[in-house]
Amino acid sequence: MAPIGQLTQQTARLDALARARQRAALLPDCLAEARRVANTVIAGWHGRRKRGIGETFWQFRPYVDGESLSRIDWRRSARDDNLYVRDREWEAAHTIWLWADQSPSMLYKSDVALVSKESRALVLMLALAEILSRSGERVGCPGVMEPVASRNAAERLALALAHAPIQTALPDLGQIGRMSDVILISDFLDADDTLETCIGPASRRGIRGHIIEVSDPAEETFPYTGRTEFRDPETGQKLIAGRAETVAADYRKAWLARREALGQGVRRMGWSFLAHRTDRLASEALAAAHGHLSGIPAAKKAALS
Amino acid sequence: MIAGIPLAFGAPAILFGLLALPVIWWLLRLTPPRPQAEPFAPLAILARVLKAEETPSRSPWWLTLLRLLIAGLVILALAEPVLNPRDRALSSNGPLALVIDNGWATAPDWQARTEAAETLIAEAEDLDIPVSIVFTANRRHDATPTSFERARDQLRAAKPQPLRPERSASVTALIAALGQTRPGTIAYISDGIDTPDATDAFSRLSALEASAIRIIGADDTNALALTGADNGAEELSVTASRLNSTDAASYGLTASDGKGREIAAGEIRFDTGEAEATGTISTPFEIRNDIARLDVTGIDTAGSVRLLDDSFRRRRVALISGEARDIAQPLLSPLYYINRALSPFADLIEADSEEMSVSIPKLLEQSPAVVVMSDIGTLPEDVSQSLNEWIERGGTLIRFAGPRLAAAPGNDELLPVLLRKGERELGGALSWIEPQPLANYPATGPFAGLPTPRDITVRRQVLAEPSADLAARTWASLADGTPLVTAADRGAGRIVLFHVTAEASWSNLPISGHFVDMLRRVVQLSRAVSGGGEAGSGILPPWRLLDANGALLPASGDAKPLDLTDRTAVVQAGPDNPPGLYGGEDGFVALNLFSADETLAPIAIPEFEAPVTRSAITGDSTVDFRPWLFAAALFALLVDTLIVLLLNGAFRRKTFKQASAAAPALFIVGLSLAMFTAPGTVRAQDAQPGDVDLLESLDRTRLAYVITGDEEADRTSQAGLDSLSNYLFSRTALEPGTAIGVDLETAPLSLYPLIYWPMSEDADTPSPEAISRLDAYMKNGGSVLFDTRDRIVDLGGGSSALTVRLQQILAGLDIPPLEPVPADHVLTKSFFLLDTFPGRYSDGPLWVEATPETNDPAERPARTGDGVSSILITGNDMAAAWALDDQGFPMFSTIPADPWQREYAYRAGVNIVMYMLTGNYKADQVHIPALLERLGQ
Repeated sequence: MAPIGQLTQQTARLDALARARQRAALLPDCLAEARRVANTVIAGWHGRRKRGIGETFWQFRPYVDGESLSRIDWRRSARDDNLYVRDREWEAAHTIWLWADQSPSMLYKSDVALVSKESRALVLMLALAEILSRSGERVGCPGVMEPVASRNAAERLALALAHAPIQTALPDLGQIGRMSDVILISDFLDADDTLETCIGPASRRGIRGHIIEVSDPAEETFPYTGRTEFRDPETGQKLIAGRAETVAADYRKAWLARREALGQGVRRMGWSFLAHRTDRLASEALAAAHGHLSGIPAAKKAALS
Repeated sequence: MIAGIPLAFGAPAILFGLLALPVIWWLLRLTPPRPQAEPFAPLAILARVLKAEETPSRSPWWLTLLRLLIAGLVILALAEPVLNPRDRALSSNGPLALVIDNGWATAPDWQARTEAAETLIAEAEDLDIPVSIVFTANRRHDATPTSFERARDQLRAAKPQPLRPERSASVTALIAALGQTRPGTIAYISDGIDTPDATDAFSRLSALEASAIRIIGADDTNALALTGADNGAEELSVTASRLNSTDAASYGLTASDGKGREIAAGEIRFDTGEAEATGTISTPFEIRNDIARLDVTGIDTAGSVRLLDDSFRRRRVALISGEARDIAQPLLSPLYYINRALSPFADLIEADSEEMSVSIPKLLEQSPAVVVMSDIGTLPEDVSQSLNEWIERGGTLIRFAGPRLAAAPGNDELLPVLLRKGERELGGALSWIEPQPLANYPATGPFAGLPTPRDITVRRQVLAEPSADLAARTWASLADGTPLVTAADRGAGRIVLFHVTAEASWSNLPISGHFVDMLRRVVQLSRAVSGGGEAGSGILPPWRLLDANGALLPASGDAKPLDLTDRTAVVQAGPDNPPGLYGGEDGFVALNLFSADETLAPIAIPEFEAPVTRSAITGDSTVDFRPWLFAAALFALLVDTLIVLLLNGAFRRKTFKQASAAAPALFIVGLSLAMFTAPGTVRAQDAQPGDVDLLESLDRTRLAYVITGDEEADRTSQAGLDSLSNYLFSRTALEPGTAIGVDLETAPLSLYPLIYWPMSEDADTPSPEAISRLDAYMKNGGSVLFDTRDRIVDLGGGSSALTVRLQQILAGLDIPPLEPVPADHVLTKSFFLLDTFPGRYSDGPLWVEATPETNDPAERPARTGDGVSSILITGNDMAAAWALDDQGFPMFSTIPADPWQREYAYRAGVNIVMYMLTGNYKADQVHIPALLERLGQ
């Protein structure tokens, strides 16, 4: 009798990149909502509906003395007696930090799951990177890659991940600038103090964040029966259940309570929380994350539900 | 052996192993099953939940119990428990007297019987007592108490005999051999069948005052004996008797011929509680005459075999009458009574020609055993000669008197005695003598033993000239001493003369049942002409003898010749004359173990003073528990495996995932179940090429035409018949399929009700085989519509090439007389009312089989047409009139061009098809009003 779950090998980064591109191709470009970053100085592609540094024409306005002569739009000025200056729309890019957990517990995959959690997390991360970079956002990965505003950010991220040490613990968000977005993809099983140690301080500094919790269906439904020895892939700790089916109900209750607690805490801090199971398609999580990032307001979801 | 229960252990020491069970219990309780290892990331959550649950480290008590049960079963099985262990209760007070039946019924299980005897001898060997052994069916007995080695040799030398046991004689021999010694144990291995001397034998055995009596195998025999075979008129009936009559049973019968080939089979069925039954073998007379031996399938004993000889065969009897048979008044026909008397037990052939010089040689060619001539005075010289030769070869000629014989010269050599010319009338107006009854039969004649009938009177007879040997030749005479039946042997044959007629005009003998008996005796005396030899009488040497297993072996040993000189004595099979065939290859007499009235009865064993132990022949009742216990242990082991699988969740997991780990286990279980189920029936593959076409033609009625080879004609036929089929489809209840062309040489014709055959000059002449096929088709009910397509008017005088061709074809067919369709023929009424049958031409007639004229045509609107005319001939080119092209336009114009003529051509076609399909039903339809009137409606 084969066991239900197994630990998989580490996913090849470039392989994950290819899959991520397939997923990303299913979604439109994502302009991260950047209400909060109105005053960020770094140029980008977000039209800010005000004049500033940018490439798109915004308005003509009369020349004010003291302005650089080079800014005069001579073609327009030639039409009447006034001098005009061509204003451009202020465009600003956004920095989004992506992070995926790669700890041993993420390597778990049960029979009914499509892929391991780690593989799914990587795919989600790279797909997000692809979508965001397509829109001109700056994409970075804490501890792995500084933010870049390049069209091939996903590829560079995959390359960086391939060379970087395995990310096991939650990242240090202290280095991240205030007006950035953070997307954390993990199973959040490692420690219960995630909220206090990692997310809490970051949110207090004003960092917006999105949590994608990836779980295996076997972890949620607990299909084990009979005499079963459970082993923690990270600590190697063992636990024997005489008749596993007897604890299934309790376990499910505890599992859901934990997720609920995590979700509640995250939302209270203003971050979004998304639970994803590996027996679902990656595109589902991607679409949901896309929605959160592009600021589809919670009100709309409420109207739908 | 445990008191009260007939249970014993072969190796009781192993039972101490049961003491180990508590240890096994303790060990089993300690060892939990190995857990299933699973990686599980959210272990922290699980750990919180799992704290409350106690992990069982021990298997459940009932599982342990099951395993203990397995261990216990294995220990018990190793201890070799046996139910009904064989008794070892020989008395050591004196020698063992072993009486063994080795009659015919012991053959099938002789091996088991000798084994039972061996066991007894072995026990005697253990006790070191002498053994006196006697076989009841043997002729010579050597019952001297001897050592067990000699007894064993005697036992090995003994064989079952194809005889009844002679118990009294063997007990006598035993008593004589024992002398004054009192036997310790008398063991009797019986075949269970009663014999007349059994009671006597038992009483004398009981007088020996043995210490113990053992009766072995008296109760469970299934002996079966064939006691008779009777060759009836229609079938061969076989009677059988069986010993064990509790259940209904059915046995197969096989009949084989003289060379041992199986030629017939039958069945004999015993009802519940019936010890006797009669089975039948129904085969033609010729085959039945070849039967030389009957066997019961699956039982090979001398009693279940019935040997048959010549006397068993049905005789072939030729009947010749002097006068033409008058069918209208059969009761006056002389052959009528003979026919009725002989037909139950003889095969009758009659002359088919009035001319005796033709018919008698023809009858003699069929080599009858008996020729019956009724009132024939003189025969042609050559016929008389051939009859004489036939009698010399062994034929029996039975003659009946009559006016012609009375008028013939009395020195006919085909008469047993010289006859006076003229007949003698008794009790007439000019006679003083009363009609005479029969006298008692002579004691030596063939009629000896028949009761003398008192109610038969003879009014007329022919008289024999007195001679010295007249009395010797007389088989029956009247009360006044004049002979009624005389006979004389000629060579191997015999001439028998009844001095009265074969019908009731001279005496009332032919209408009495006595006549049947007399004729039967005479016919039984006759023998097959081909077989010469001395069979049936005299002293016959043994030729082939049955052994106990029912096999016919060349005679050997001490069989004595069979003495049949004394006809009154009933010959019984016995030690001197074992059952078998006596005589020689040319002729033989079968001697069977059982005669017709014998039955099998179970042997009655009286009470003995000594304790009697009864048992079956072998240790059949000994039940060895070992395999059962091992099987139970194995089953429990399987159950245990399933339970362990179940505990480990092998089956519950199935609800979670589709590809279950239990699937292979289920597959194995299913496979083992499949191995236990009986193999499915295998159907013979009887499909043959062409079946699809056949079925297609069978599903739908189809009109057919002959493929002539002339393409134009074939196309016209196809189009014409298709159009006619459409017309039928739209107008009638018949929904024919598309027309089909048949090749007369190969195609199966019987599928089609009507075949249209247009004549064509370009066509090939059909081969004789094709014509012969067509002939068979027509004789079997098919009809052919010939169409010369040349406007013939007169069939015979036709001169066109097509008509000539038709004549060529018809020359090869068996054609009845033809006539143009008369006005009252069914064809004119079968669907439409028609008076002509036009085609493309309108004036040619349609020829059909001539129907016989009825006496009063006025009364019947249509002729009775039993059967349908198998041939129709027209010259009107019907297919051309029917044929429509693809657009539905006529392909040919009618001559003259009259649209109504085409319509009538269709109607003619419909009438023809309806006539073919419905036949005389349509003819009978016209009587419906009359029938209804007769029914009173």
